[in-house]
Order: sequence, then structure tokens, then C-alpha cells
Amino acid sequence: MGEKRIGRSDILDFGSDRNLPAPGFKPAALVLGMGAVCVWGFYKLGQGIREQNADRTVNSELAREKMWSRIHLIPLLQAEEDRDLARRHMADQAREKQLTGDNFKVYNSDRFVRPTYAVTPANTTK
Amino acid sequence: MAARKPIFNQQVLVDTTPLPDSVPKVNEVGATSAPLLSASFFIGARCRPYNDDYMQCKTENPGKGEFECLKEGRRVTRCAASVVDDINKHCLDEFRKHWQCLDNNNHQLWQCRKDEWKLNKCVFDNLKLEKTIPEAQGIPVHLRSKQIYAHYPALRDPGQAPFKKAVDAPGAEAPAS
Repeated sequence: MGEKRIGRSDILDFGSDRNLPAPGFKPAALVLGMGAVCVWGFYKLGQGIREQNADRTVNSELAREKMWSRIHLIPLLQAEEDRDLARRHMADQAREKQLTGDNFKVYNSDRFVRPTYAVTPANTTK
Repeated sequence: MAARKPIFNQQVLVDTTPLPDSVPKVNEVGATSAPLLSASFFIGARCRPYNDDYMQCKTENPGKGEFECLKEGRRVTRCAASVVDDINKHCLDEFRKHWQCLDNNNHQLWQCRKDEWKLNKCVFDNLKLEKTIPEAQGIPVHLRSKQIYAHYPALRDPGQAPFKKAVDAPGAEAPAS
């Protein structure tokens, strides 16, 4: 090769002829860095799922905390509701007995059935 | 059948007739959802046997539990009311702070850990009731000093400068059990 004239292609073609390093990170370093960021992100995602508030995940601790707090409260709430239902039912039965002299057996079973209809007084005293 | 929900949303449907005298009287707890959520684990700690009795009675009397389990239900209510009364007597400030925090944060327990730790400490010191979550993995979630879903770090108040511990996380050094 003899004397070479410098032209446009020589300026753009860095590296090959002139032994200059390519600018920027090497591709392998870029891939490794991206992989590291992804691994870190999935690690954080896993931590979040384990602690999250979704009741479908087995290990989600916040959901289990919420469930146990409700488990401790349910008997209390249900007892109050049951007392109210029993009170209304007994009052209904007493009214029926007072009006018709007898308690008509509506259902062919001993189970308690929540009333769908209620007798309302014609005029309220409140 | 018993799951049908009547909606008593009219004034005339309010039945004020009390229970007959043959049924002993009991005062209802009367707390709203936030105080109940705040006190739930203490209610569970003291009243677990009564709660289990009641639920067993309900299971053994399908369809009739409303009347057969009135006695167990009264015990449940009395026990829970005693817990709420005791908390009110000994830890009123901490209790109020915690359930008001819950009310302000959509009932998200993880937003209110700092108030919860203060309440738990006070309740344990005075009433010997401890909040435990059964079958917790590692450090129980309510004792972790880092609450990753909270808006603010658990050790910092909104607006407080960072790196100043307002209260020590009780579980930061607790062994995994």
C-alpha cells in the first residue's frame, strides 16, 4: 500500500484503519448492565408480591394480617347481627300472636329464615 | 335462605321492640370499623376461646344458630367489650392515634405502623395482650421496620427530616420464628 489520500470514508470509518477504540460501552457491558437492572427489578418485584395485599398469593403477609384481623372480629359482628335478628323475629312472633291468636307455621322446616317482607305500622309514633 | 338480605332502610322498618326479659341483657360494643380493626388482634388474643365456642355453636346448629347461640354470642360480645374498655382505660391516646390514622389511610394497616407499635407496647405493658399473626413467615409483617407499601417510611413522620428515628422498630432485631 502506498500513500493514501484521506477522504470522507476514512473520517467516518473509525477503528478499522486507524486502530481507535469504538466510542461508548462495549456491547457485552451493555447487555450485562441491562441484565443486572432486570435481575434487581425482579428481586424487588418478588419482595413486593410476598408482602402485598392480594389474597390470592400464598405468602402475601399483609393479606394474611388483614384476614386474621377479620377472623378475630367476625364472631363479634355475627353475634350482634344474630341478636338483632332474634329480637326482630321474637317481636314479629309476639305481634302475630297478639293479632291472630296463633303463630302460623310458614315454612316446613325448623330453620330460621330471614324475613323478606315486614309489616309496617300505619303511623309511627316517633 | 338465611343469606337473603332484607334492607331496612326506611324509618318505619326500624323495630324498637327489645328482647324479651327471659334473655339477659348485654350492651353492644358500639365501636365503628376503624377502632375495631385497631383492636381486632387484642380482641382475638383475649377472646379466642369464646369466639371459637360461638363459631362451633353456629356450625353445630345450622339454620338455628341465631337462637341456639344467643348465650355464646353474649359471651363473645362481653369479652370484646371488656377488651375495648380496657384499651380505652389504659391506652386511650395511643388507641385514638392509631384508629384515626387508619381512618385517614383507607384502613391500610401498613400506613400506620408507628402508631401501631406504640399502641401494641402500651397494650402489652398494661393488659398483657400481644398481637400475633399466626403462621407468619420470617419477621411478622407488622414488626418489619421497612414497610415497602407505605407512603412514608415507617420510622419517619410526614414532613419530618430523614434519618431521625421517631420510634424504634420492635421487630428489627427479632429473630425469625
